[in-house]
Amino acid sequence: MIQLSGWKRWLLAIVVLHGIVACAGFFAPYDPTEQDREHPYLPPMRIHLVDTQGHFHFRPFFYAEQLRVGSFDQFEEHSQQAIPLRFFVTGARYDLLGLLPFRTHLFGAEASRVYLLGSDAYGRDQLSRILYGGQISLLAGMLGAGLTLLIGVLIGATAGYLGGWRDGLLMRVAELFMALPWLYLLFALRAFLPLSVSPVQAFFLIILVIGAVGWARPARLVRGVVLSARERDFVRAARGFGATDSYLLRRHILPETSSVILTQAAILVPQFVLAEMTLSFLGLGVPEPVPSWGSLLASLQQYSVLVSYWWMYLPALAIVPFFLGYLGLASALQQDAGTEKIVRTAGGSRW
Amino acid sequence: MDRLLIVEKIEKRYGRAHVLGAKQEVTALLDVSFSIGRGSTLALVGESGSGKSTLALCIACLERPTSGKIVFNRNEITVLDEKQLREVRPQIQLVFQDPARSLNPRFSALELVSEPLLVQGRLDKREREARARALLGQVGIPQEKALQRAEEFSGGQRQRLAIARALSLEPKLLILDEALSALDCSVQAQIANLLMELQGRLGLTYLFITHDFAMAGHLAHEIAVMEQGRVVEIGAADEVLGTPNQEVTRRLIAAMPRLTAEAHAPRAV
Repeated sequence: MIQLSGWKRWLLAIVVLHGIVACAGFFAPYDPTEQDREHPYLPPMRIHLVDTQGHFHFRPFFYAEQLRVGSFDQFEEHSQQAIPLRFFVTGARYDLLGLLPFRTHLFGAEASRVYLLGSDAYGRDQLSRILYGGQISLLAGMLGAGLTLLIGVLIGATAGYLGGWRDGLLMRVAELFMALPWLYLLFALRAFLPLSVSPVQAFFLIILVIGAVGWARPARLVRGVVLSARERDFVRAARGFGATDSYLLRRHILPETSSVILTQAAILVPQFVLAEMTLSFLGLGVPEPVPSWGSLLASLQQYSVLVSYWWMYLPALAIVPFFLGYLGLASALQQDAGTEKIVRTAGGSRW
Repeated sequence: MDRLLIVEKIEKRYGRAHVLGAKQEVTALLDVSFSIGRGSTLALVGESGSGKSTLALCIACLERPTSGKIVFNRNEITVLDEKQLREVRPQIQLVFQDPARSLNPRFSALELVSEPLLVQGRLDKREREARARALLGQVGIPQEKALQRAEEFSGGQRQRLAIARALSLEPKLLILDEALSALDCSVQAQIANLLMELQGRLGLTYLFITHDFAMAGHLAHEIAVMEQGRVVEIGAADEVLGTPNQEVTRRLIAAMPRLTAEAHAPRAV
């Protein structure tokens, strides 16, 4: 058994969670856009081990569901028709990680579709849509965080290293960016674009927007670190033997910012996933039928859905383990950087 | 004697803009003049805050004096621009007080000592490494420790690393800014002897900055005493130690540890 310490344990947890979402095709029983008009708004099915006669079965099964007579959205279990749950079944074709064509799914059933987390208005499987939706939301969050950090590090390092009026100017711009009412500016920005945009365009637009908005905070943090690193004796010493600015930044100053950048990344990714969800919820994100966590939640804007079908809230819960993982990683990284600093200072006076 | 470094009427003022009201000015150096002969050692002695380190940074071309003139190796370096300075800097190397801060903790001993050569683009990779290993040997760092990171060395060894790094570019002038002050006595003595040996062998010129008159008397040919940004007394080492003219000098000499104090400067009763 390998012993993992501190942040590595959190990183492993995050990698596993992302792995599940990345391999959505395998874990999801169905294609996320496949409709089943017979079963709209079907509540999550119950998985049984004991049948109506009280017999125990080793293989879990569920009952086929049908509309209750005289109702348009109330389903009941058909107690004669027990359908066994099968594992590693062959079903809809998908590309694993976008590369390898596969047909094997973790579970499924033969005679009827199984809805572990219910279905939506078109009878699409909610579980499959949550898993596939995670791909869009998480990727948007990660790319957005990457873009933000890139801009933040560039601007922060420039401001901190050059100092003087250029530092002042860049930091005022950063403050301006923090002060703007972003959500409403996004609406305005959206108004300039054509009415319908393709899912790919919309996806990159979202990344661009959340990436451009968030750089101010990491830029200020990086600037602070660079500002103090610039005055370090080892940077002075390197300048003393003739190092150029770009060498100093690359070799001595930017490595000092690495722990700040990592911690910021761990904080920014879930924050930007949430931003993607907000934008998609408001209809500014990736359009139907491609699922994302935000657009899945958009159906809650209808009052009837909001009060009648509780399983439509489930996409909101999907982010919770990811959020916990990232926040745990962020605080573990912070703690790590803290102890490293303490060890170093102690080492400095250990003569 | 041929003078390697001539400092003439150097002034350094730091302006600090205050939130409210006018700009505040701090004068770190005021009308400082002295010179160092090629191959000799000048000790600059003063209490903390007397401007010694600012002077060191000005001479090492890491800070620009507000006014005055510094002539190094017959070139006036105070008029050079940033690009030209980058060419002068390797000839004047500065060893800082605290090697824990002047050596990047992420670097190995070998990387640290060969970094100046890398930056200067001198030699190829293998030659650099050989040269760095030779330097480590010169300052008494065992070869098997060459790949250890800076933070794994003791304070004395780190200061040896810092000296080896400063020597790697074969500078003409070595400024030691309180380079021995943080070390304990036996290590101080070892490094002081190392410095003297290197001076004899390589013909180095030292500007030795300290608050310790005993060490100054031991190492230097000349001593300059600083107080509040000014040089108040300057002369041959035994003259300054024997017949101090200034109150500060007498105070600093009195602060020397008794045994060494008597050995170097029998006090007039």
